[in-house]
Amino acid sequence: MLLNRYCCWLMISCSGAVFAQETKPVDSTKIETLDEVFVTATRTERQLSSLPLPTSIILSSDIIKAGVTKLNEILSEQTGIITVPDFGGGEGVQIQGMDSAYTLILVDGVPLIGRSAGTLDLYRISVGNIDRIEIVKGASSALYGSEALAGVINIITKRPKYDMFAGGISERFATFNTHDVNGNLIWKKKKFSGTFFTNYHSTDGYDFNDQPFIQTVEPNHDITVQPRFYYDFSDKLTLIAGLRFYKNEQDYKAIIEDENCEGKSDVDEWGAQFRLEHKWNSKIESEYEFYSTNYKAEEFLNNPEGQRFDDSFYNQWLFRPEIRTTFSINKDKLTTGVGVNHETLERTYFDNRITFDSQYFYVQYDYNPIDKLNILAGFRYDIHNQFQSQLSPKLAMNYKISPSISLKTSFGYGFKAPDFRQLYFDFTNSSVGYTVLGYNVAENRLDTFEVQGQLLSRVEGISFSDHLKPESSVNFNLGSLYQKGKLKMDVNAFYNSITNLIDTRVVAQKTNGQNVFSYFNINEIFTYGIEYNATYKFSSDFRVSFGYQYMVAKDKSVIKAIENGEVFARDPITLESFQLTKSDYFGLFNRSKHIANIKLYYSIPKIKTDVSLRVIYRSKFGLFDTNSNQILDIYDDFVNEYYIANLSLSKSFKDKITLQVGANNLFDFTNPREISNIPGRQVFGKLQFNF
Amino acid sequence: MKTNFFKLSILALVVAFSSCSNDDSNHTVALETKTVSNLNAPQTGGQGQPVGGAFTKFSFSQNAVVTDDSWDIAFRGTTIIVNGGDEIGITDEPTRTGVGAVSIVSSTLANVTTFPAAATFAQDGATTYAIPTGSGNGWYSYDQATNIISPIAGKVFVVKTHDGKYAKFEILSYYKDAPATPDATSLSRWFTFKFVYQPNSTTTF
Repeated sequence: MLLNRYCCWLMISCSGAVFAQETKPVDSTKIETLDEVFVTATRTERQLSSLPLPTSIILSSDIIKAGVTKLNEILSEQTGIITVPDFGGGEGVQIQGMDSAYTLILVDGVPLIGRSAGTLDLYRISVGNIDRIEIVKGASSALYGSEALAGVINIITKRPKYDMFAGGISERFATFNTHDVNGNLIWKKKKFSGTFFTNYHSTDGYDFNDQPFIQTVEPNHDITVQPRFYYDFSDKLTLIAGLRFYKNEQDYKAIIEDENCEGKSDVDEWGAQFRLEHKWNSKIESEYEFYSTNYKAEEFLNNPEGQRFDDSFYNQWLFRPEIRTTFSINKDKLTTGVGVNHETLERTYFDNRITFDSQYFYVQYDYNPIDKLNILAGFRYDIHNQFQSQLSPKLAMNYKISPSISLKTSFGYGFKAPDFRQLYFDFTNSSVGYTVLGYNVAENRLDTFEVQGQLLSRVEGISFSDHLKPESSVNFNLGSLYQKGKLKMDVNAFYNSITNLIDTRVVAQKTNGQNVFSYFNINEIFTYGIEYNATYKFSSDFRVSFGYQYMVAKDKSVIKAIENGEVFARDPITLESFQLTKSDYFGLFNRSKHIANIKLYYSIPKIKTDVSLRVIYRSKFGLFDTNSNQILDIYDDFVNEYYIANLSLSKSFKDKITLQVGANNLFDFTNPREISNIPGRQVFGKLQFNF
Repeated sequence: MKTNFFKLSILALVVAFSSCSNDDSNHTVALETKTVSNLNAPQTGGQGQPVGGAFTKFSFSQNAVVTDDSWDIAFRGTTIIVNGGDEIGITDEPTRTGVGAVSIVSSTLANVTTFPAAATFAQDGATTYAIPTGSGNGWYSYDQATNIISPIAGKVFVVKTHDGKYAKFEILSYYKDAPATPDATSLSRWFTFKFVYQPNSTTTF
């Protein structure tokens, strides 16, 4: 799933969530008034409204109404979230101004892996069997460890609650010859229950470049099979077995030295989660979980004569046993967890297979001293074989000022361990000749280069003796929730200070004039902003919601350099340099100050028709430095602001059949040169049959 | 021929005298900022092949490309050398005959008004470039996505010329006709730069 040349793409797509609404017709009023259950914030079932953390939830009913098929599409419509194309060919999310590498993605509580260049490609996840998507914003390492620095997205699949047998199939067809076929089964018969989900998705891709040979997104197809079984041995003991298989095949084309090279790029992924839920008594519950997953990517490129020009592979494994126990003490809950991570990676540009081992435990106390006050306090301790141990604390509070207003605040620590690439990469660009070395292998490789006479000089003062440190953040949130009658509003101000950010730095010069780079803890950045959400229900059939985020993300060292008068820019007319002032600094690349959305949901029960219209807005942002100072300042070229409108209409016939038509990117916004992951208008039609 | 030669010599003398007297009478005369456009600095090889080809040698005092030993700096591709120090040890390298050196200052061209400290001047030497090569090290940054070479903003090079005078220069573009935003079609290895030459024995520009 790679976007040619650029590292990005988003697919159009479309899907059918098959049976969600039909088997047990859901009254939309009910959804609104019910306090939703949320598990990601505490690892226990909690009512969403009383949580002291910035959270949001996407319900399956809204996913179905939107008529989207892949996770990136539905996430891009959420307040405070931007989906961005990233290096390595995936599309990830930016939360509170932090890159997609810093958000943990879970499916039913266990993580997805396969971040070959940091980003986890959200296109891998079909939304056809999702019950809800839970989003926690802000540092959450106190429960989840590494990667949960900007937040956690937990995709919860459906779980049958009462005896039933239902299912559905759907076919969705859209622009770019995109097909999405869904099959869903859900059943429960006394002790045995389960779900079976399968999805086939194919598309011809789309093209923004004028190169006839290659496309922006090459044709690809993928298949997902996701069975999940539940067996109740007794009231007190339940076994859950969840499996997930995913396979994607994409054409891979490139023009190398005027030669048209062709190949394929494959992703194979599977995951198996086994969990035993054990209620000891009314006060103590334990969960024993074993999770293993494997992500494998392979690609090759042949020259016109059919000879192999290039190939690469990436093969990552994760094994994670974890035991969680929750003690209920009056109205309070104490949750503890202990687990082990065993992770291995083999890939091109690594000398050999690398293993990461870590052990961890966490404790969290969900404390309600008085009815109006909820306190969440906890920490997690991670011991790792590759870097220093991490202690991640968290403290959060929710205070109900009145039945309709509550105040919440949270303070937490987040970290992201140096990844395999930052420690073990050994890559030399074949056409240009520069080299990138992982921190742990750099010293040895540089010595080898030196012996081979490939080094001109080494940069003085570079030492690899200390361990590379994890990137870490301190996160602070302060917000309020207001809920009265037809109006629901929440507002949250956030601040994140991230230190030890890992970036590349030149460590030596080669005799070919090119540099050798390695990874170091260099940057310190901060992000701050405010997020606002409001929903107004005019009636049970009509609601409007509005979301907005203002956000600033800046690099501390850049601010210091500007203060010291060391930052310059080039005048586009005279091409001469001039000195920048602090107010000229815009911030980090690919960050927008303003993002907003408006959503309208309207149903006409008489004719069983639902309409949903969602408009998202993103203000201007800069992708590259265009005036030769390596930073983004107000004199740089910016990518213009844009609006995207998505519309869908669905009509049910006799509760069995639903017909949906719609258009994503209704007004056909494109920016072929600067935004490669937004294709033009995609019209779709979907037919769904339930039983 | 003879008459012509005589006339030219007279002219030269007059010019020389008049400029001399100008300098003597008015020390605060503003030095002229000159622009050199499209100085071609071709090279052979590259992209993994050994780099070679003659350097394009430039003299600040003559504001011209020269072929003799009166050069101050010389260009080949992205490599810039000075007429001072020892040979670096690269192919087709001209011999250093002067006392040249360079000091790299972070500033704008206009704001560099005094000569940097003597200790900050560097000469070429065995495997050492007075102006370091490679993206982000010396005068340019290289964008791997677009393959564009951009001169780093705020880099001013104060050059001690081959004969011990001083000049300061700022590179504006590496592409022919100095387009504001070079693209894949722009012709590279064509330098445009601005410089100020200080012919007098002083410490300021």
